Amino acid sequence: MKPRRRRRWARLAKRVASHVILIGACAFALFPIYFIVVTSLSTLPIAGITAHVLVPSPSTITTASYGTVLYHLSPNFLTLLTNSLIFSGSSAAIGLALAAFTGFALSKFNFPGRRTFVYFILLISLFPGVLLVIPFYFMFSSLGLIDTYLGLIIPYSAGAVVFSGILVKNYMDSIPDDIEEAALVDGLSRTQAFFRVLIPLCYPVLGLAAFLAFIGPYTDFALAHVFITSNNLWTLALGIYNINSTDQGAQNYGLVTAFAVVMSLPIVVFYMVFQRYIIGGLTLGAVRG
Amino acid sequence: MTGITLQNISKRFKTETAVDDVSLAIQDGEFVVILGASGSGKSTILRIIAGLEVQTSGHVYIGDMLVDDYEPRDRNLAMVFQSYALYPHLSAYENIAFGLRVRRVPREDDPERLRRFSRDEIDTKVRSAGQMLGIGGMLEKRPAELSGGQRQRVALARAIVRDPEAFLLDEPLSNLDAKIRSNARIELKRLHARLRQTFVFVTHDQTEAMTLGDRLAILNHGRLLQCDSPDRVLSHPANQYVASFVGSPEMVFLEGNVEPAGTGYTFVKEPVRIPVRGVPRMGPVTVGVRPWDVRVERSSSPSAVPARVTGVERLGSSDQLFLELGAPSSPTVAPTLPPLPVRAVVRSYDFNVGDGVFVSFDADRALFFDAEGARLDSMSVATRLL
Ligand SMILES: Nc1ncnc2c1ncn2[C@@H]1O[C@H](COP(=O)(O)OP(=O)(O)OP(=O)(O)O)[C@@H](O)[C@H]1O
Ligand SMILES: [Mg+2]
Repeated sequence: MKPRRRRRWARLAKRVASHVILIGACAFALFPIYFIVVTSLSTLPIAGITAHVLVPSPSTITTASYGTVLYHLSPNFLTLLTNSLIFSGSSAAIGLALAAFTGFALSKFNFPGRRTFVYFILLISLFPGVLLVIPFYFMFSSLGLIDTYLGLIIPYSAGAVVFSGILVKNYMDSIPDDIEEAALVDGLSRTQAFFRVLIPLCYPVLGLAAFLAFIGPYTDFALAHVFITSNNLWTLALGIYNINSTDQGAQNYGLVTAFAVVMSLPIVVFYMVFQRYIIGGLTLGAVRG
Repeated sequence: MTGITLQNISKRFKTETAVDDVSLAIQDGEFVVILGASGSGKSTILRIIAGLEVQTSGHVYIGDMLVDDYEPRDRNLAMVFQSYALYPHLSAYENIAFGLRVRRVPREDDPERLRRFSRDEIDTKVRSAGQMLGIGGMLEKRPAELSGGQRQRVALARAIVRDPEAFLLDEPLSNLDAKIRSNARIELKRLHARLRQTFVFVTHDQTEAMTLGDRLAILNHGRLLQCDSPDRVLSHPANQYVASFVGSPEMVFLEGNVEPAGTGYTFVKEPVRIPVRGVPRMGPVTVGVRPWDVRVERSSSPSAVPARVTGVERLGSSDQLFLELGAPSSPTVAPTLPPLPVRAVVRSYDFNVGDGVFVSFDADRALFFDAEGARLDSMSVATRLL
């Protein structure tokens, strides 16, 4: 009787402890987001950590900053959003398509130098992208690609292929060869088997890869800042940076944070839609290394 | 419906030879079982027939068509994998229909042109295959929602609907538990009788091979040792390896010598003596006897050797006895020789551990092998004649 009761207490204590820890971690992770949201709703021109900001009352809440962000920026918010979606969307699409083929080749084909190639790609992905900005600039300007859509889409998709290619490869490694071979015996060509069997089986990892390939360009500042000069090609990341240089934006944290909130909405929506796949991809990737 | 011919097929992976010069003619409608231990190259042969693996040398014919350069999809064979390899993202129905959806067949009105199967045709075929295998009620389920036995049927149904030239099956029963397995075996045999198509079935289970095959092709280290009917393989094994691999419980082997004795010759392995006739090979020889050809009796008879029962394994309908020949039938007598272990299969519950018995061999059925394991055809046992 006694040991059992003791065990029950131990289990309860463990549960409480794990909840406390998890709630703490959650609060830690969510606080900045909360802070950004309340700041964006405050009237203060300069935010400070005051009770006034942290615990807003209905009388101090205002959506004025959102109005300014959405209607009174130049170039206007819709242009920035459109540009960002063009850059991120096409980079994600191109990067994802190439990553699927890369993963397929690296996982299911035996060719000389395959291992070396995989290590090479892993090595490349260790370099921070910022290092490449200057060489890319010279390369792309000699090709006349500076300040064009294509000029950014190319490096963005290339970045996505490097990372997602390996991701897809690892996932495809976990799909038994039998299944593809069954399709070949069933009368499919290798290409048909790829599109009709392997790709559907890879949806989880492709969802994750698409998400990552989308977020990268969406939040990129370094490359866009160097490559884009015309206002009409500005992305959201460049827009938020330039709020500071406008008259009404100088030091106005309400504006900056409101911008940040609106900017994050598409990602939240994206995540909600693909959540099922993304989580599947993350855990599978984690388990299989 | 077509036969399959393998002509001097070899397959080398980097350093090791998985298949070594195998020639095999499988007749139209025949059920051939490829039997061998793990790693003997069974799957490799099947994969070469299917076109999933390319042989290093040799030729494969389907019917009289040389198919060496054919892609798997152009060979029109069906394969059932050990893992079943069902498409996890598709329902059982879609798994079965999958091959039909991509397949093109000649048009009735104009055989020069190809067409796809219509929806209705596919539906009819899938449902009748499902019916035949008793999975009609679970066609909407995904593979993950099916039991092992049901998955195996889906895999079979997927093979059947395509009406292939031949069926290739790679240990399709090995993932089933013992009870379902013997049922599945019977069903498979029935299916073959009904379809009258060529089946090539791979297994390492000799019981399975014996019950299923019209002929067994026995492999060891990539070499084809023998291809014969189950009876023939059992009674006339090509060599000692086949003799020991086929038949359960395993054959009993005695390593001894052939010596001149009087006017004839005798195989000697103390305390066993077996008279030999034919063209004897002098020197070291191995005699093989099926355990059910080892006679165990309570009372002594001429040529019987005293022995003691050291172990009993209940096989169900019979018992396997572990015996020590030469062990004195009474514990008080001191042994003169190290005891010789032998096994025998007898009626259940006739003997118990510790019993003193007398053992003799049904010498008509004994087989002789030389030191390399090759069977000595010209030698046989001189029974009671001498
Ligand atoms: N792709 C491959 N690369 C290298 N060696 C291989 C490959 N496939 C098979 N082998 C080798 O060839 C030999 C025969 O393999 P195979 O799979 O045909 O054996 P098996 O008789 O089917 O065995 P099991 O009963 O275990 O399935 C083995 O030694 C195996 O290691
Ligand atoms: Mg195998």
